[in-house]
Amino acid sequence: MPASFAPPSVSPSRWQRLRTELFGSRVDGLISIALGAALVAIALGLLKWTFFQAQWAVIQANSTLFAVGRYPIDQQWRLWLLTGLLAAASGLSWGLLRALPRDQTTGQLWPFNDRLAAGVLVALALVAPLWLQLSLAIQLRWWGITALVLVGRWAMARWGSGLPRGIKRLVPLIWPGLYLVGMVLISGGLGLIQVAPSQWGGLLLTLVASSFAILICFPLGLVLALGRRSELPLLRWGSVVYIEFIRGAPLITLLFLGQNILGFLLPGGLAPDRVWRAAWVLTFFAAAYVAEALRSGLAAVPRGQLEAAQSLGMTMPQSLVQVVLPQALRVALPAVVGQFITLLQDTTLLSLIGLLDLLGTARAVMANPAFLGKSAEVYLVLAVLFWCCCAALGLGSRALETRLNPSDQTRYQR
Amino acid sequence: MKSPPHGTPVTMDARNPAAMDPILEARGVQKWYPNGYHALRGVDLTVHRGEVVVIMGPSGSGKSTFLRTFNALEDFQQGSITIDGFSINEDTRNIESIRREVGMVFQQFNLFPHLSVLDNLTLAPVLVRKRPKAQVELKALELLERVGIGEQAHKFPGQLSGGQQQRVAIARSLCMEPRLMLFDEPTSALDPEMVQEVLEVMQELAADGMTMVVVTHEVRFARNVASRIVLMAEGEVVEIAPPEQFFTNASHPRTQQFLQQIG
Repeated sequence: MPASFAPPSVSPSRWQRLRTELFGSRVDGLISIALGAALVAIALGLLKWTFFQAQWAVIQANSTLFAVGRYPIDQQWRLWLLTGLLAAASGLSWGLLRALPRDQTTGQLWPFNDRLAAGVLVALALVAPLWLQLSLAIQLRWWGITALVLVGRWAMARWGSGLPRGIKRLVPLIWPGLYLVGMVLISGGLGLIQVAPSQWGGLLLTLVASSFAILICFPLGLVLALGRRSELPLLRWGSVVYIEFIRGAPLITLLFLGQNILGFLLPGGLAPDRVWRAAWVLTFFAAAYVAEALRSGLAAVPRGQLEAAQSLGMTMPQSLVQVVLPQALRVALPAVVGQFITLLQDTTLLSLIGLLDLLGTARAVMANPAFLGKSAEVYLVLAVLFWCCCAALGLGSRALETRLNPSDQTRYQR
Repeated sequence: MKSPPHGTPVTMDARNPAAMDPILEARGVQKWYPNGYHALRGVDLTVHRGEVVVIMGPSGSGKSTFLRTFNALEDFQQGSITIDGFSINEDTRNIESIRREVGMVFQQFNLFPHLSVLDNLTLAPVLVRKRPKAQVELKALELLERVGIGEQAHKFPGQLSGGQQQRVAIARSLCMEPRLMLFDEPTSALDPEMVQEVLEVMQELAADGMTMVVVTHEVRFARNVASRIVLMAEGEVVEIAPPEQFFTNASHPRTQQFLQQIG
């Protein structure tokens, strides 16, 4: 007779688990060994190429060009200032997020992932400027910016939870304000010398164009999605025609159209600058896709939700804003962010219409006879830069998804 | 017109329509669906203050459709419906002011899943009636207490059982202080063991003098609580009678057939 009904040991050691997962049977073991060997070979090859064969002079000599294009040198302090402001804002927001009350469901890696992120940041600040062979003055700026992020994070994490609710609510509002400040800093005005968009380039142009398009295409897409479900025939058919027309045309043709036709259509001087024309085309293009993503979200909200809201006397706009949209957005969020990521990558098409975005700058650099045959280095750096931007968008979207999950919200209550 | 003082018990008077003033009057209501289906074929109904009118009938008889015309969730093509002196017409402002006074409880509860139970209750009074939030919250907590789920106020609808959700839905409607409550098969989506808790809440509501129109298949509820029972079939009202007469001495053969089917 068994003495007790204690469950068998449920938590085998890490090694045991690894062994059963990788070498459960003879075939499993063979596959594991083969895949492992392939991975090691690829990693070794990549490391060998990176450290011994690749010649990074092409990046080192052109790092400013990749970052901001032909932005006037005597005005570049404005971009440094903006970067500093962004760093401070990120630090504060990061720290505030850490200070928020959390329960056990924060994920297995917490707080390891948080410290890892800070560590990566520090490592980047130490290694990247040296590797890029930047001057000491610029190296110091890098360190200052990194320090701003870390100090903001540390200060907010330490004292943030003690701040009054009102102030904590205001912190996210830094971002829209900073966006406007950034636009002024970049383009000039309000006492600053104008820097024409044609002088923007590299990562700067890519980020300005894509962030502008992302910000504007969302409300536009929302209007189109609601229009497509509207009971007003003119609005509905207008939305359908717009969405189907845009989705039926390749982006590159629309970009060319925008560059050429807008100049003819609008009286002289009224047509926006070439960069802005392209940014608007990107915006209108993405809006159609965002509209479709949002439409799927709206369709996922049961009809009874609208009926319940209306039966309580709420007006149509009230019902949409308070009841339908919050639920629709949660469903549509992954698809919408996917669209944003696509949009970010689509900015590379700007290089085909002669604008010097990241890819355009890269093509210009590679055309320089001094750097002939160095395309692998350039493209690798480009890929890493884009990957960082997309990863940031993806991380943000996942964080937002958790926040919008109703059962998760319990931990942010009163 | 003033509503009766709160808490008036249902007396035998309530079962005598002539003694009360009407809160709902439907005259010759006809509805065709866009596909041409003739759902309501000239329906008349008068509901008096303090009455509990139960609408029964086989599925497809148009009883839910009829109920949903009372707060303009369904439109109709002919006839007239007057709620508390306001006639339902195309004017959306008018419809919104009618909906403020008419609560509705749905078969599928239709609670707002992204809001806590308390926020479900306070959303409309704050937004529509412009009441101060703190005051509405007190009232909401009191109502939740009354339907027996005061301790769940800060949970989300998805964390509650079906019966609890439906009681929250009733409280949500009551929080708007309606003059008329509509129930569209409120227990049909519930597991059997949860039907009773919802019916009890509805019974107490009736005892407090709330005017109610209830579409339901619950015979016991109809027998015990209804002032009058309406039988609908094929888009028409077949019979209107007090419960004792309805169940024992129905005049129309269609009613007798229906009673046999559910019996």
